[in-house]
Amino acid sequence: MDEMILEIRHLSKTFGKNEVLRDIDFSVAKGDVTSIIGASGSGKSTLLRCINLLETPTSGEILYRGENVAGRGVNAARYRSHVGMVFQSFNLFNNMTVLENCMVGQVKVLGKNRVDARKSAMNYLEKVGMAPYINAKPRQISGGQKQRVAIARALAMDPEVLLFDEPTSALDPEMVGEVLNVMQALANEGMTMLVVTHEMAFARDVSSQVVYMNGGIICEQGTPEEVFGNPQKQETRDFLARFRKN
Amino acid sequence: MEKFIKLGSDISALWGHYWLQYLVGIRNTLIVAVVATLVGCIIGLLCGILNTIPYAKNDPLPKRFFLKLVRVVVRIYVEVFRGTPMVLQAVFIYYGLPYFTDGAVAFSGNAGIWIASLVVVSINTGAYMAESVRGGIISIDPGQTEGAKAIGMTHVQTMTSVILPQAIRNIIPQIGNNFIINIKDTSVMFVIGFVEFFATHRNIVGLNLMYFPSATIEMVGYLTMTLIASFLLRLVEKLMDGSDSYELVQEDQLTMTAGTYSHPDRGTPFDERSKEYRNRVRESLKNRNGSTRGER
Repeated sequence: MDEMILEIRHLSKTFGKNEVLRDIDFSVAKGDVTSIIGASGSGKSTLLRCINLLETPTSGEILYRGENVAGRGVNAARYRSHVGMVFQSFNLFNNMTVLENCMVGQVKVLGKNRVDARKSAMNYLEKVGMAPYINAKPRQISGGQKQRVAIARALAMDPEVLLFDEPTSALDPEMVGEVLNVMQALANEGMTMLVVTHEMAFARDVSSQVVYMNGGIICEQGTPEEVFGNPQKQETRDFLARFRKN
Repeated sequence: MEKFIKLGSDISALWGHYWLQYLVGIRNTLIVAVVATLVGCIIGLLCGILNTIPYAKNDPLPKRFFLKLVRVVVRIYVEVFRGTPMVLQAVFIYYGLPYFTDGAVAFSGNAGIWIASLVVVSINTGAYMAESVRGGIISIDPGQTEGAKAIGMTHVQTMTSVILPQAIRNIIPQIGNNFIINIKDTSVMFVIGFVEFFATHRNIVGLNLMYFPSATIEMVGYLTMTLIASFLLRLVEKLMDGSDSYELVQEDQLTMTAGTYSHPDRGTPFDERSKEYRNRVRESLKNRNGSTRGER
């Protein structure tokens, strides 16, 4: 059996009386690319933010390598340094250059020296094609470039798993491709990824597991062939049909 | 006109006689204003950071209680020192401490007056800065905090590396405001006998009753100080913003990126955008004598 990186067990999240996530159960093995699809407001992003502890789950367990991180007394910062996250709105540090953005975590969190940090930052920036822009500030580059830097920043922490929260939703159509290409290359290298996305082609072609969420619960999950080729539930069929039309 | 000439001669007489005292007054004013603004900023930063430490419902009770307590204390400090006149605070602290400690803690002598003035103006500035810093921190996009947390930074690391550098840039105008207010408001420290620029004026006119000419000197003096201060602050802001352009580090010569393209003929006579080239083309078009086809 594959080594399990993340196991989500009976995860629930409520905001006030509003139940956003109900009894979520799934697991991510090493090297898996899991796409989480579903309509807006179905709880996809909240699920991802719970996994990264940016939101505190109301109940349930998140096992990271068999250890529950959703309980009390967990060093959230240390856990997060193993779990990279790429945001819809990039969230690059505006007061730093592209290079510094990719170095600061290595230096401050991982305690690397600046020479090593720079070397590995350059390595990842080259991988995402942003090496020429190391001296630019985030406000000076385009959305697609920002997202590629954000991916490099997450990679530079050498994470066990990368979470993507709608990484292409804030981008102009012509920039979506450059980010998806980078993500596809990562998937091919065996990076464990958890991707919330509206890019159905990406979910179908790249992922090894697809999770369809609807109204805060997992409606259907399986391989892309199962979910896209032969959806079992009516909701899934309706959702996919809407996408095919567009 | 006559009056102005008289004013001029009065001022030069005053200045000629007391210039050293005026300058010492200016020096004292500036020292207190600068030191108190700096210390006030540090107090404000600490309060602002303490005030914005987040806590969740499932944190242990002592931590929540402590953070709540800190917020209450900071709140009281801010409200008290923002809500009472500084002149009264000066009297309150200068005479209050010896009163309560039976003279064990007293601001004695000239050094005591200096310390009392610095303390009062500093904590007053701190109260204002605490709110400015809090506002500065709130104004930073929450995404910045999330980005920092997502790579595993602790609250302190997030603050010092990401949030504060941006928040401080945003509150520089506020710091400048406080500095200029401090230059002027140190004048109320005369109540505890601190001889700064305004107290110098009081001392001098007490001797010779030349109220208006001395006040004119004061006016010009204060305005000069504040104008220089605002100029310097603008400069600091500009420096903090850094350059608007950046250098492309073109390691891969094959990547031609948008915006890096430079016309190869630029600056040569063949540059199509140069005036010379256009004139040449225009002339040659004119000299074709109406023929629309080139000569064979």
